Amino acid sequence: MTALVEMKSVAKEYRGVPAITDVDFELNKGEIHALLGENGAGKSTLTKMMCGVTQRTRGEMLLDGTSVNFQTPAEALDNGVAMVFQETSLVPSMTVAQNLYLGDEKLFNRIRSLNIAAQTFLQSLNFNVNPTTMVSALGAAHKQMVEIARAVRKNVRVIIFDEPTAALTPEEKHHFFSLVERLKERGVSIVFISHALEEALQIADSITVLRDGALIETGPAKSFDRERIVRAMVGRAVEGSSYGAHRAETRAGAEKVLSVQNVSMGTIVKNTSFSVYAGQITGIFGLIGSGRTEVAKIIAGVVKRNFLNGGEIRLHDRSVRYRVPRQAMEDGIVYVTEDRKAEGFFETMSIAENLTMGRLAANLTKGAVVTRTEMMALADEWTTSLNIRAIDADARVIELSGGNQQKVVIAKSLVQKPQIVIFDEPTRGVDVGAIAEIHQLINRLADEGLAVVVISSYLPEILNISDRILVCRAGRVVEEFSPLEADEATIMFAAVH
Amino acid sequence: MIAFVRRKLDEIRGSGEAAVTVPSMDGALKPNRLLEDAAVLREAPRPDQIVERGGDVLYSSGTGIFDLSGAEKYRFDAQVSALAAAPGGALAVGLADGTVRIIGGPHDGALPKMTCPVALVFDGPDTLYIANGSETFGSADWKHDLMIRGATGSVHRVDLSTGKGERLMDRLAWPYGLGLSPKGLVVAESWRHRLRLRTPEGQVRTVLSDLPAYPARLSPAASGGWWLALFAPRNPLIEFILREPDFRDRMMEEIDPDHWAAPSLVKDDTYMRPLQGGAQKHLGVVKPWAPSQSYGLVVRLDADFRPRSSQHSRADGRRHGITSVIETGGRVIAASKGGDLILELAGQGGRA
Repeated sequence: MTALVEMKSVAKEYRGVPAITDVDFELNKGEIHALLGENGAGKSTLTKMMCGVTQRTRGEMLLDGTSVNFQTPAEALDNGVAMVFQETSLVPSMTVAQNLYLGDEKLFNRIRSLNIAAQTFLQSLNFNVNPTTMVSALGAAHKQMVEIARAVRKNVRVIIFDEPTAALTPEEKHHFFSLVERLKERGVSIVFISHALEEALQIADSITVLRDGALIETGPAKSFDRERIVRAMVGRAVEGSSYGAHRAETRAGAEKVLSVQNVSMGTIVKNTSFSVYAGQITGIFGLIGSGRTEVAKIIAGVVKRNFLNGGEIRLHDRSVRYRVPRQAMEDGIVYVTEDRKAEGFFETMSIAENLTMGRLAANLTKGAVVTRTEMMALADEWTTSLNIRAIDADARVIELSGGNQQKVVIAKSLVQKPQIVIFDEPTRGVDVGAIAEIHQLINRLADEGLAVVVISSYLPEILNISDRILVCRAGRVVEEFSPLEADEATIMFAAVH
Repeated sequence: MIAFVRRKLDEIRGSGEAAVTVPSMDGALKPNRLLEDAAVLREAPRPDQIVERGGDVLYSSGTGIFDLSGAEKYRFDAQVSALAAAPGGALAVGLADGTVRIIGGPHDGALPKMTCPVALVFDGPDTLYIANGSETFGSADWKHDLMIRGATGSVHRVDLSTGKGERLMDRLAWPYGLGLSPKGLVVAESWRHRLRLRTPEGQVRTVLSDLPAYPARLSPAASGGWWLALFAPRNPLIEFILREPDFRDRMMEEIDPDHWAAPSLVKDDTYMRPLQGGAQKHLGVVKPWAPSQSYGLVVRLDADFRPRSSQHSRADGRRHGITSVIETGGRVIAASKGGDLILELAGQGGRA
């Protein structure tokens, strides 16, 4: 095969700190190349240089044998290199069709023609998305689909997918993999960044592993297995992340802290009831749309339950009804969001500022003024405690890798000294090393006596971390399992039947 | 003023204390069929309370007290409403006419009358605690007390050597179970679905609350902790009716108590009961998870009164109305008043 893209000894430094150093990378024509590594390993930096989002500090990039140095994503796109980002860059106030053709509008556009063209194109990709729907009304999975469709529509030669399957359901993933195969048959080269190692092993032709900004291993996918990849990614054996390990025992839990009784919200949450106990991890599994996130947000005061007959939430035998999250925080209930970029942090603020905002929200500061010394001390304490890898506590959160951003979101919640912590998809878009650390943290919180709720749509994670498993279906909790007696099949059966 | 407005608002929108909600049976209370599968020790009409005296297991049924072979030990003029055995072999018997009698031992005789003795426990041979369920109704009229939302129950300590009594707690909503722990006296308060602890210093605190069923008698477990019997479930219909005084007044006035929309000890298939049809049956089969009026539930509590496991007879079962459970000689024995059975339960019960 001929190399379509060649990166030769490329390096990138941010404020003098190297993000990647002397990395060589080759992408052949019609190849699916999985790029793997922990958060912060340099995957995003490498691919952003490929598509013109950032410029390399040194090194060379060849596209079809010609040296290139893209200054903007538009320039890269003109040369046939596109990137589909993990966080969507769609315009929420426009329809799906308008987003698909954004930038390609003619002087006069017929909306109907646009919709028909979009419908035809989406159908050709097997994506079940209505082109007339506003993007703001779409769920995460559908937004991801539109984002992918927009890249595919450009007839590019290289597509870089950053965590494309993180928000997709199993069926949607199947469609996505078929699409990738079809693109490959058309001679498109694909760079595939994923934390789901099984997916990489399943569809990739080649695998490259980065660690701490350096190339560790590269070669044909057939020569890799999961163990080898993990070892290369982390540089050590990873404890606590081996999904599927049999649980010998679970925590019995202490007193009932939270009792959700017959709570309803519109057509999404329907008369659901469950309890949460201190010193125990309550796992909630459900498919997208099963109402699990919404019920968590009701508990935390992010959204409101029905005004009339919306049920009851009892915290330590006291009926509570929060109008805003701050009231819940003051009562010790925190919700760690699944959408960290939109709801989890202030991306242009520093780690220290974000953590202080968390403390301010819970009304835990001593006075009206918070000094910089206090802010930095707080940030230092939590960056050390949660092993947040950043240049310093002044680093802006947007500059951090996904796993470290997630740790900031968690730290921002934990500074509020909660008694109940609700984690919604805590390891989505997080690498295998950070997953282990986050799982250890969640276990530690339960061991310290906190009531912990973990919402996840990843069954191995639910089975691995939960002391009891609640299954959500169609807006209510329908079944409870012990991880000692349940398996993936029985849980999934309860979630869909 | 703010509290008043909030209460009125809660009444309008059905939230807060006016919410018609019931806590879920999950965690240690996750439903199972262990009571349905338990071994039957004896069939007996309406067995109520079980005690162990000198190695013999006795149970009350109607106006008599029997051993497990079915032999009648004592017979009274009124229904037996409570039973307790003293370490020395004496027996305290509460009767539906309000009498509490001591049988055997140095204090043999009758105590001053109460209204509704429903639970008794000895503290040594000379001290007896008595739970008086209500000042208004007798033990057979417990549904009436619930439907008027009665809270006139009390707990008394009687020094048997002097005959002097002392009221320890009052304004209780049907105190139906008593237990002596190292931390103090434990009282099961049925209509408020909770257990209260009175310390020797006289302080009272709630140790277990928000139960999904009405608690009855409790007894110590051999390996520490407690066995708690719960005699009927809470369900949304009854919670709603308990917030509707006019409806309750008419119901009590016009309808036979057996057909009230109220908790029940017995599973009854009569068409005159509410909650028939789709709420309880699907294709002619009773749904185990239906919101029934009767239920069988025994909960194993740890020493801190936290539920650890449970045994159930669900809506499709018959072993309902568990009013008493004890552990003796390595066996756990329960009285299913609604199922007319004395049961031997399996070990620790459902999972923790």
